[in-house]
Amino acid sequence: MLWWLRIFAGLVLVGGVVGLALAPFIGKSLFVELWGVEPLSYLGGLLVVAALGGTTLTYYLPRLLGRDKAEVDTDQQTAEKWGQLTQQYFELFNHDLGRPLRRILGKERELRLLLQSSESELYPEVKGLLDEIESQTPSFRLMMSNIQVMVQLEAPNLPIKIQPVEPTELIRRIVDRYSLLASEAHKEITWWSEPTEFGLIYCDGSAIEHIVTNLVDNTVRFATEHVEIKLTKNLTDFFVRVWDDGPGIPPHYAQHIFDRGWTPEVARSEEKTSSGLGLFIAHTLAKKYGGDLTLESISAPEPDHHTTFLLSLPLNGNATALESS
Amino acid sequence: MPNAKGLEKIIIVDDEWESPIVTAVRRRLDEEGWHTLVIVPEAGGSIGDEFEASALYAIEEELPVGVLLDIRLGEYREDQFKGLEILQKIVEQHPKLPVLMFTQYAQGPDRERAVRGSLKWDAPVDFIDKLASPDEVVLRLRRLIGRTPEIIPIGGDLYLDANAKAVYVKRGEDSVIVDDIHGMKFEIIRELAATWYRSPGELVPFSRLERYSEGEEARASLRVRIREIKVSLGRALGVAFGAGDLIINVRDQGYRLVPPKT
Repeated sequence: MLWWLRIFAGLVLVGGVVGLALAPFIGKSLFVELWGVEPLSYLGGLLVVAALGGTTLTYYLPRLLGRDKAEVDTDQQTAEKWGQLTQQYFELFNHDLGRPLRRILGKERELRLLLQSSESELYPEVKGLLDEIESQTPSFRLMMSNIQVMVQLEAPNLPIKIQPVEPTELIRRIVDRYSLLASEAHKEITWWSEPTEFGLIYCDGSAIEHIVTNLVDNTVRFATEHVEIKLTKNLTDFFVRVWDDGPGIPPHYAQHIFDRGWTPEVARSEEKTSSGLGLFIAHTLAKKYGGDLTLESISAPEPDHHTTFLLSLPLNGNATALESS
Repeated sequence: MPNAKGLEKIIIVDDEWESPIVTAVRRRLDEEGWHTLVIVPEAGGSIGDEFEASALYAIEEELPVGVLLDIRLGEYREDQFKGLEILQKIVEQHPKLPVLMFTQYAQGPDRERAVRGSLKWDAPVDFIDKLASPDEVVLRLRRLIGRTPEIIPIGGDLYLDANAKAVYVKRGEDSVIVDDIHGMKFEIIRELAATWYRSPGELVPFSRLERYSEGEEARASLRVRIREIKVSLGRALGVAFGAGDLIINVRDQGYRLVPPKT
């Protein structure tokens, strides 16, 4: 619309300039003088002023009255396209990065089998090295998911996907992923739900799975022997309590635990062993979906030390999340 | 130990069927007792289309209990999501056939998400990262297929036979029945083993176990039976199971089976 107005004003301007240019030559012969000047000069001048004024208004009026809707829509479409493009590049990157890792893992599993099937006993040192390679896989998978969720969180208009979700199956999947890793480190994960028949909830299942995976990843790393996951609900919310019997988090660390990029190594000026994004993302997602993520940790002498993360989310909380988004 | 799965077949549709990562999964499925069949397309034509025709034909012919299907079946652009097209055809033609999709993306690209969203919530279709360990694949397939087998291993030396309603201990090539595990004690160990089989870390709550105990003090009666089971199985294996072994009580919420390591 604005562009059509500008083109029209441009044509008027050309007409005005032509009028002014011809006025000295044909103005007097065509029109009767008015106040000592032939009218073609008046007409040309008027057209030039109107065209310049109109053009100026097309630039400044929308800013004074608020932005033109079409332009706002265009900006939004551009942002969405940019978000999609970023996601596509990320997926490509994720796939290509995964290829060599799949090869490495495949070879490690073949090597393990060869060594196990040979006559001689598998050296504990060799088993330890193979376990170390295998144990990096959940970290890699979580790191890629975390980066992808970060990209989504930064994108405008993050879509909220409401779907019926069976939360017990969601916990089973996470426990499947970490059981082997925990077992190799002589730790164990136990989980249960109250009530036993938990039923369905309506939420964004992948977001919930992502939050709880980050919590379990954290607790498995810091647990001494046991990790427990308990799923409960009341009339309005459901809760996931992730507990570990690790050494606990001192209060001066606990206040930073959900900060972006923070890890205990940051506070000790040591080399970071994780990105420090997991708990930040978990906390951000919990808030975004109308819930909360809190920490309770006791850093005391044995046997009282422990850490508990409590995730609470509305059973039907997507309405809240949708309104706020 | 008898084969836990009989002649149950799993069809694997993956263009990297010879890669070590797929071979490791296949080997683990074979160990589990499933008979794995790999789809190898005929040469010529579009790779994706060949996979589709061969996979759908094999499903008709072999009547598998499950399908392991890769999303990406080749490097051609049109084959990058061929697995999703095959999935939609399987769901249309065999709506009850469990399908586990191998995905190579952290959360799945738009097209994959759209297919996930279009499936019914109780459709026997699930998605798993290709980097998942073979054990994780097995657990997911066990739940997706849904049936608990007649034979459930409890560690390397014990197994439970639901048909015979007995627990056996392996003695070389033979198996010997474990005395004293029958009636309600067998039902308790079967409940614990069935839950462990589907989901190893899952607790069996008291409410599900107390129906196998008697008297007013159901919890106490259950505790006694659990102790007797541990003693009987320990005697069969020549070990003494403590409070933290074999069947453990977690926070007075229920019990969990922890199969002995060999």
